[in-house]
Amino acid sequence: MTQTELPTSDQEDLRLLRESARTLFERAGGSGRSRKLRDSGGGWDADMIHELAEAGVFGVTVPEENGGLGMGLAAGGVIAEEVGRVIAPEPVVVTVGLSLGLLRRLCPDHAKMEQLVGGETVLAVAWQERGPNGGPAEASCRYADGKLTGGKAWVVGASSAQGFLVVAQGDAGPVLVLAQAGADGLSVDARRQADGSAMGELSFSGTPAEQLASGDTVQDALADAVSDTTALAAAELVGLSARAFEITLEYIKTREQFDKPIGSFQVIQHRAVDLNVMCEVAQSGVREALGLMDGEADPKVRARLASRAKARAVTAAKKITRDAIQLHGAVGYTDEFDIGLYLNRALVLSAWLGDDAYHRRLWFMAREAEGAA
Amino acid sequence: MMTDWNAMSDADFRKEVRGFFEAEYPEELRNLPHRPKFAEIAHWHRKLHAKGWVAPAWPAEYGGMGLNAAKLLIFYEEQQRWGVNRGRDMGVQMVGPLIIKFGTQEQKDYWLPRILSCEDIWCQGYSEPGAGSDLANLRTRAEIDGDDFVINGQKIWTTMAHDATHIFMLVRTDPDAPKKQQGISFLLAPMDQSGVEVRTITTLSGETEFCEVFFDNARTPRENLVGELNKGWTMAKALLSFERIFIGSPSLAQNALGQLESFARGRGAFDDPVFRDRFAQAALDVEDHAALYARFADQLKRGETLGADVSMLKIWVTECFQRITELMIEAAGPDGGTIGPLQVGNVGVDVLSSFYKARPGTIYGGSNEIQRNILSKAVLGLPG
Repeated sequence: MTQTELPTSDQEDLRLLRESARTLFERAGGSGRSRKLRDSGGGWDADMIHELAEAGVFGVTVPEENGGLGMGLAAGGVIAEEVGRVIAPEPVVVTVGLSLGLLRRLCPDHAKMEQLVGGETVLAVAWQERGPNGGPAEASCRYADGKLTGGKAWVVGASSAQGFLVVAQGDAGPVLVLAQAGADGLSVDARRQADGSAMGELSFSGTPAEQLASGDTVQDALADAVSDTTALAAAELVGLSARAFEITLEYIKTREQFDKPIGSFQVIQHRAVDLNVMCEVAQSGVREALGLMDGEADPKVRARLASRAKARAVTAAKKITRDAIQLHGAVGYTDEFDIGLYLNRALVLSAWLGDDAYHRRLWFMAREAEGAA
Repeated sequence: MMTDWNAMSDADFRKEVRGFFEAEYPEELRNLPHRPKFAEIAHWHRKLHAKGWVAPAWPAEYGGMGLNAAKLLIFYEEQQRWGVNRGRDMGVQMVGPLIIKFGTQEQKDYWLPRILSCEDIWCQGYSEPGAGSDLANLRTRAEIDGDDFVINGQKIWTTMAHDATHIFMLVRTDPDAPKKQQGISFLLAPMDQSGVEVRTITTLSGETEFCEVFFDNARTPRENLVGELNKGWTMAKALLSFERIFIGSPSLAQNALGQLESFARGRGAFDDPVFRDRFAQAALDVEDHAALYARFADQLKRGETLGADVSMLKIWVTECFQRITELMIEAAGPDGGTIGPLQVGNVGVDVLSSFYKARPGTIYGGSNEIQRNILSKAVLGLPG
């Protein structure tokens, strides 16, 4: 079911959710708050985590019996868009999509569920590994006798999280385990990203960890949670793009050269229109994809829809944030103007979980496989 | 007893329309690559007329189906899905609604039944050599002379004028009006007279569907003025709202994508990862456009009026359609310049004809540059 086909009451719920998320972020200081956090070394604001939790943000897709709002991915997308609009550094998409995405599928009764939903803790998820050529590789991190050995890469929020959900190879197949931050034999190499956040490279040598789940269900849950997260990241990029466009539109209306606002020049106007169209197509396409994912059980189809969303969102965000710099002219190249923050955040969100070219490839392969089936 | 189509569920209505097209539409007319003359489709028109489905948008009291916006979209979607030719629909789409809205009772009684039966076949005389994107610049004059208007000037890009019995036109009736949008009137005129000369224009694809029409003291009775004298511009603009979503519908691009896919598959183009990526881009461009289209369609279904932002549909889909047909040419390799169907398995795909078919979309109906001007001012609020 596409979002436009949703019953009016559901659309109304989404509208209210959007309004309350927007108000919450704006009251907290909007993008100015995000800049301050970046300037003070990255990471996020603990008070904000609590506020978001109180508003039900982290539990948006968690069933009501587990303390969540029991809404769908479409609702998660609404929140992610608002996160993107103010480039908030809090790990909303990671928590909703990955941490809680894994726990609600694998161990919904674990105490960490409630803590995550309640904002009492933040867990980073370590599932990817880096190969010898620097790119992603097959998982080889081992879990045996209650201890982890090996490495993990591209762990979002690794510097500030209270613990790590790690997908590793156990004696009898894949396992999901929980390691505490600062545990023995755990080292975290934080690689600073364009937006001031840190992406962690973890290394375990006999690090103690608690097993939460095991077996093929771990792989299945991971794949589906990654689809969700990919789609939510797409929604975050949509919100980011929309706001970056608004900022740029405002700028070209006020910046004067040759005694006129530069937005009165046709070449600028047509470029602005193209960005606007790109933005609207991305918003509609991504919202539709998330809505369809809510009504779809087949994980392969859900993965294809997530790839559709991310491919579109990255294409749009890249184009919009880069053209936004051009339309700002020289000041766009300074750190002083907010538009650069949007470009930098878009760079990180685009690369994370795969960019547009990568997802078009996945999308095409998924489509071929469905056609052959 | 007239059927109240709007009272049906969308799904039932779609089934009804689809069933009729699938059962009754002549196979040989499906997905016609060219615009047909009336004689070629007259047998289909007779069926449609007998069914009372010639004018889906007209109110039932005038012989239409009286469809609301939601049902109308479904009707057109099904029409395009089955490759049903629109027929010679200028009368139904353009003149009829104008007469219904602004015409006198006599005009309605006389013209509307003749439009439905195709006893009169209409062409549209808007563009002129000096009035394309700047349509208000038109110069064809109509002056009152006794009981007639006398018309002098030239129209161009008049689609199928060589197969029309009548022309509806925008003419200048007050050359001294302070603004060029003022002083324009909406006039109906018969084509079969000595003062009207039609010459066909051969297009890049070798078709002759466009014409030039020359008026040299052509005459039309004064009662063929529709609406008030000098108010034609506002009237013509008032009718564009629905057309603007229709012109941005995804179906042309969707059909072309399907063609591209089967052609590329047959030709082994998908073995090339570069081609795969470009195909994926085009396919996703179409999917996401359809999502945006659904948003606007939904607005119509809720009974809201569409804003100027609907223009973005046209920009996106016409340019997307072009990219798809360009990919077809690419997939054809050394056959990319060959006229006529290229054999793939047991079907023929005419890539060149698709390529040509995609070109005018960015030019007609307000060129995409004009659409960008509209969006920048009316939607983005940019100055100047």
